[in-house]
Amino acid sequence: MKSLAGYFFAAVVLSAIAFVLGSYQTDVYRKLLLWITLALSYNFLFGVSGQVAFSHFTFYGIGAYSIVILTTQLQWPLPLAIVAAVLICVVAALVVAIPATRLEGFYLALATLAFAQLFVVLLNEGGSVTGGTGGLANYRIPEIAGLRITGPWYTIVIVVLMLGTLAVLWRLERSHFGRACRAVRDNPEAAAAMGVDPRRTRIVAYVISSALAGLAGMVYAFVDNTVNPVIFGLENAFLLLFMVIIGGSGSHAGAVIGAVLLYLMPFVLSPLIGHHHALVFGLVMVLAVLFQPQGLIGLWHSLRDRRAASAGRSTP
Amino acid sequence: MSSIALLRVRGLSRRFGGLQAVADLNFDAWSGEVLGVIGPNGAGKSTTFNMIAGALTPSAGSIEFDGQRVDGLPTHAFAARGIMRTFQHNKPFPSMSVLENVMVGMHTRIACSLWQVVAATPAAKHAQAHAAKRAAELIEFVGLKEWIDADVATLSFGQGRLLEIARALAGEPRLMLFDEPAAGLSPSECLRLADVIRAIAARGIAVLLIEHDMRFLMSLAERVIVLNFGRSIAEGTPDQIRVDPAVVEAYLGDLGALSRA
Repeated sequence: MKSLAGYFFAAVVLSAIAFVLGSYQTDVYRKLLLWITLALSYNFLFGVSGQVAFSHFTFYGIGAYSIVILTTQLQWPLPLAIVAAVLICVVAALVVAIPATRLEGFYLALATLAFAQLFVVLLNEGGSVTGGTGGLANYRIPEIAGLRITGPWYTIVIVVLMLGTLAVLWRLERSHFGRACRAVRDNPEAAAAMGVDPRRTRIVAYVISSALAGLAGMVYAFVDNTVNPVIFGLENAFLLLFMVIIGGSGSHAGAVIGAVLLYLMPFVLSPLIGHHHALVFGLVMVLAVLFQPQGLIGLWHSLRDRRAASAGRSTP
Repeated sequence: MSSIALLRVRGLSRRFGGLQAVADLNFDAWSGEVLGVIGPNGAGKSTTFNMIAGALTPSAGSIEFDGQRVDGLPTHAFAARGIMRTFQHNKPFPSMSVLENVMVGMHTRIACSLWQVVAATPAAKHAQAHAAKRAAELIEFVGLKEWIDADVATLSFGQGRLLEIARALAGEPRLMLFDEPAAGLSPSECLRLADVIRAIAARGIAVLLIEHDMRFLMSLAERVIVLNFGRSIAEGTPDQIRVDPAVVEAYLGDLGALSRA
């Protein structure tokens, strides 16, 4: 979105919804917003920058665990803990990206897959620091200046996070940096000839999107008030990839559509066909990749172009 | 013309395993001149081109640009110093419009940090607007004005070549490298291309042209270097080159091409 008014309007509407929902609906709504946030930043990494990385959900986990450990075990004040957790994500992203971006496509996928697995192992073996397989629970969001943000007010925090992520990525995508990312994705050799450093561009895109995932993880930590290794496993990392592909990789709107559709699909299908919804999910995925690799947003664009073309013919 | 050449190539050599593709090449290029490099197939033209463009590291020798060594620098550093190139096989960025393609060429000329971009500061907005305006001017200069918002897939091959040129000019080059620009173009497109290249040199940009098409090159270049088996066998004006015995011998299998040129 371009205009400030647009963001303000969206913030008001999405925040207003928070006040009319029951507790179960609130939980679904909050997680939907978080999935959209993650899909937006993953779209920048996978769709815009063209990096097939499976570490995005891991950074979500690093953000979540970091904020909990820093505020509960170390008793750091929340603002300081947020800054520190962002730094942890940035450093971790650099540690992964600097060697991994030397590798092309397939190998980056393998390296980030290994990193994602390593993270889950570390969580399971982390003893009292990570709480092992049971994770960490029984904590609450710390107070800031005597105030504890809860209920619909915390949902507003998530709305702001989502819109803030969208604003940052929207601006980056339309800047010289966004063009450099797409240039490197399209043709690294030509990009380098235009003065774009392909490796540096990949690293910066990886760090920015991973840090945004970490930030979303910090917010998530106080949604369920429990974090455990299962949440941050590979299953969700793949779901995120599918969301971006189904929606249409490279497009913000596509990421939002994909996240909404795939997150809500089980809620709609489960009452109808129970656990078979996973089967439908798999089928939809295969069909989408085979017949509509541009995603739903691509379908929308081609329909619009076709309508514009036929309108042009009828009025010569 | 300044007293020191913009580009100074000394002892440039490149070996691929047992093959000496380029050996001990020496030449200068000056601002505002069109320098042509020709030679039969396998003479080392492309290897020479790629070394000067920064896509290939020389095995020996030096490339000095504006008094500074540039050989061994990464490819993207060449553009930052003012050496821009076109590709023989057009390499547009397919996901972008013509305008955006040209704006990528401006990458090294946009001085605006990512913090400014994220905060959408006036400086960032100005940089973006200025880049779009400059790109539009260059697109008009090469004659693609009507295609400015077009998908690059809809361009013809010749238009794609013009896009390559606009994109390279966007980097504000002081040395422009053309890799067989006439290859695959129709005669009328060649005429248009020659006009564009002359206009670029007239702006004071040094033009280095590697070309297979002798007729095209001879009509355009002020000075020509002839390569054969990786070595320079002649250097001079097109008129001198046409009658040079070494050149005639090198092109013996293609004497017709030489006399027609």
